[in-house]
Amino acid sequence: MTQTRNSATSAELSSDALLTAVKAFLMDNAAPNLEGRHRFNARVAANVLGIIQRERTIGPTLQALDEDALHRWLPESESKEPVQELSRALADGRITPDDTFFDYLKARQLLVSAINNPRYASRAIAEERWGV
Amino acid sequence: MRPEELIAALDEALPALLTDKVSGAAVTSLERLSGGANNETWRLVWGETPLILRRRPFSADSVADLEGNILGLSLVDEAQVIRLASSTDVPVPEIHAVFDERHPIGEAFLMGFIDGESIPQRWLADAQFEGARNKLAYQCGEALARIHTIDCSNLPASIGPTTLQRRFDAAQHRLHAFGDVSPALQFGLNWLIEHAPEDTPHVLLHGDFRTGNLLIDKHGLAGVLDWELTHQGPPAEDLGYLCAYVWRFGQLDKPVGGFGHYADLIKGYESVAGWCPDLASIRYWEVFAALSWGLVCQTMGALWHSGEGDVERAAVARRRSEAELDMLLLIDDWERP
Repeated sequence: MTQTRNSATSAELSSDALLTAVKAFLMDNAAPNLEGRHRFNARVAANVLGIIQRERTIGPTLQALDEDALHRWLPESESKEPVQELSRALADGRITPDDTFFDYLKARQLLVSAINNPRYASRAIAEERWGV
Repeated sequence: MRPEELIAALDEALPALLTDKVSGAAVTSLERLSGGANNETWRLVWGETPLILRRRPFSADSVADLEGNILGLSLVDEAQVIRLASSTDVPVPEIHAVFDERHPIGEAFLMGFIDGESIPQRWLADAQFEGARNKLAYQCGEALARIHTIDCSNLPASIGPTTLQRRFDAAQHRLHAFGDVSPALQFGLNWLIEHAPEDTPHVLLHGDFRTGNLLIDKHGLAGVLDWELTHQGPPAEDLGYLCAYVWRFGQLDKPVGGFGHYADLIKGYESVAGWCPDLASIRYWEVFAALSWGLVCQTMGALWHSGEGDVERAAVARRRSEAELDMLLLIDDWERP
C-alpha cells in the first residue's frame, strides 16, 4: 500500500494519518508475516480502519441528513437519536413512508454504504440511479 | 479447543465408530478450514481418507438470549437433515458420526469429503469451470425441487411448521432488540408485510442455498453444504435466496448466484417438480433474503459485544449496509413502471 504524506514540514500527525500508518502496517508488514486465520484477520482489520477513516469524513453529512429527516417527519420529537426514532416511528406507524421519505432513505444509504463498503457491487447501480 | 486436544479426542472416539466405514487407526492430519461464522469446519485425514468435521465452538446456551434460531440448528439436527437429503438425489456428503455437546469433541458431526471447489471466487472465474457454470442454474433448480420433496413428517422437532406472520414478528422483534438502528431494514420489513404473498403450502427448505455453500466440479453441482439454516417455508423462498444480490459475488447481471439466469433455474425446477414458483414470487424472496442478511449482520455485532468472535465478526456487523442498500434497490425496481 502506498501512502501519500503531505506537509512534510509539519511535525503534527492527524488521527487520519495515524490510521493510514497502522493500516499500511497491517497490510504490508503484519499480513504477509502471518498465516491462515491471522493473515485473513490482519486484512480485515486494515479494512476496518478504512471504515473508521471514511466515517470520520462522511459521518457529519449523514448525521445532518438524519437530523433534518427527524425534524421533517417527526417535528414534535426531541430525540437525540434521529435514526432510532425514525425507525421506531416506521415500525409503529407514526410515519407512513411516501416517495419523499423513500428518497431520504436512498440518500442516506448512499452515504452509509460509502462508509462501510464503497466497492459493494450494487452500490454502483444505486449511485447511478439515485446519486446527485 | 486446541488442535492437539481435538486430535486426541478424535483418536479416542473414532476407531469404534468408523470400523466398518473408513479404514485407519488415527488422525494423520488436521487443519481448520476458513469460513463458517457459527461453526468450525475442520479437514482431517483418518488413515488415508480425508474427512470433514463440523463443530460448534460454543455452547448453545451462551447465545440463547440472542434469538438462537438465527444461528441455525444444532449440529445433531443438521446431520439428521443431511441424512434425509441423501435419500433424494441431492448431492450431500455421507454422515459418519454425530456427537452431542456432552462429548469430549463437543457438538459436532463427521462426514465424508466430497472432492470439488468450494471457493466461489475460484469457480466463478476459472475457465476450467465454464462448462460447469453453464449447467449450474438448471442443476440448482433440480436440486431445490428435490429438497422440497423431503417428507416434513420425518424432521427433527426443531424444524417445526411456521407461518409468514410469525417470521415477520420474529424479524420485528430482532430489529427492536438490536436497538432500531436501521430505518432501511424497518422500511423493508414494512414493505414485505404489505406485499406478502398468499400463504402457500410449506416445504422443507435448505434455507441457505447460495453460491458460497455449493461444491462444484467440472460436471457442475457436486455437493450442497451447510444445512444449518434449514426450515419450513414456501418453495419460492429458496429460489429467491439463491438470487439475492448479496450472494451474486458482484456479477449482478447473472441473477442466479452470480453464474446463471432465472429461465434456467426455473426450467430445472420444473423438470423435477412439474411446476415452479413465478418470477415475481422469486423476486419477493430476494427482498426477504436481504432482510435476513441484514439481521445476520446485526446478530454478528451482538455476538461480538457478548465476547464471542474476533475482528471478522465485528467487521461483518458493518456489512449490514449491503443488505440495506439491496433492499432499497429491489423495492425501487419493484415499484418502477
